[in-house]
Amino acid sequence: MVLKLHGFAVSTCTLRVATVLKELNVPFEFVPVDITKGEQKVPQHVKIQPFGQIPYIEDDDGFILYESRAICRYIAAKYRSNVSGPALLPDLSTEMEKYAKFEQAASVEAWNFDFYASNATLELIFKSIYGGGVTDEVRAKEYLESLEKNLDVYDKILSSHRYLAGDDITLADIFHIPYARHLHTRKYINLEDANRPNLTRWWKDITSRPSWQSVQGGVTSFP
Amino acid sequence: MVLKFYGHPFSTCSLRVATILKEYNVPFELIVVDVSKGAHKAPDYLKIQPFGQVPYIDDDGFILYESRAIGRYIAAKHRASGPALLPDVNTETQKYAKFEQAASVEAWNFDFYASKAAAELIFKPMRGLTPDEARAKELLESLENNLDVYDKILASQKYVAGDDITLADLFHISYGNLLHSAKHINLEDTKRPNVARWWKDITSRPSWQAVKGGVSSSA
Repeated sequence: MVLKLHGFAVSTCTLRVATVLKELNVPFEFVPVDITKGEQKVPQHVKIQPFGQIPYIEDDDGFILYESRAICRYIAAKYRSNVSGPALLPDLSTEMEKYAKFEQAASVEAWNFDFYASNATLELIFKSIYGGGVTDEVRAKEYLESLEKNLDVYDKILSSHRYLAGDDITLADIFHIPYARHLHTRKYINLEDANRPNLTRWWKDITSRPSWQSVQGGVTSFP
Repeated sequence: MVLKFYGHPFSTCSLRVATILKEYNVPFELIVVDVSKGAHKAPDYLKIQPFGQVPYIDDDGFILYESRAIGRYIAAKHRASGPALLPDVNTETQKYAKFEQAASVEAWNFDFYASKAAAELIFKPMRGLTPDEARAKELLESLENNLDVYDKILASQKYVAGDDITLADLFHISYGNLLHSAKHINLEDTKRPNVARWWKDITSRPSWQAVKGGVSSSA
């Protein structure tokens, strides 16, 4: 049985997992959950994902896991030997400080990036595409302002090493891509601003990876 | 060299780290960062924690910030001398994955609502600002809905990642306690018997009991 990824083809969290599956060359079957029809809230789905959210995976041995960043860590750990090069998830038993710096960067992604980026995306983009109310312009502006301040800090951090956790890419860098892409392509933020040359370099680097390039238009089964 | 803990005695994130240090009996020196005087935004501080946030640790020269990263580092480094709060990624990969699932739930389905509600209802008044009551109400409603889900999850397992306690349970305590003590949520609500059982269990641990009144340097 091949790993099954249950999600929505263009959903940010589903894309996050798909990117990492591609990074680790893990074959998977994509099983669509139509969130525009509320399929993530049906009893059958809620039995598996009690918060009624997507995505979740069912691994080839039947193991179920939800929360995209947990799934990504699991994939990076389990399929580590599929690829060469620095581990997207540093091994805490052999490189403890590197692991700690990764978790520091992942925590920064959650609290200093995603909270503002996901809420801004919801207000400015998802509400009009998927319905769910009128854009709260005041709140959206607040979120973007906080995000911009933090992106200035990112530029400082990235002036002394290539990626957020150090000189090797980790999951923490990849976690940013789906929401960042939404806001950047619609010009709510500029991740290629000449005033933030290190951020620009980093953004171009991580989004040029074949993994993201292959899924950015929407997730499909692989191969 | 004893671990240097740059934090604040009553800050939720400092309490989170202190609880975990206590779980492993890690000696530490608390160096108070006076946030009321803006010490966390001083240039020297920003050189180390560039977001101007508290806490960070200096473990014999190794600097780390973000309370939940610090928690994982402490649990990994001292695993031989304390409870297995962080499953081994190599020898118990599925257990590790379930822990990270629970930690992610704590972040996105608990903390994002709890911390923002606390900011409105507790921190703003402390700074002489007016809470946005409408926003606070929305946040608490979302939190309540999710706590109902927690009750379902905790009906079939003791802790949020399974039958063993992990860091993911402990991560909840500082904001949970803040909102529960101020009666904005009720974590001992009899309508959610499993959440009540879980909350009483994790908050009765000696580690939390030792720091809940405020962090101070260990003996």
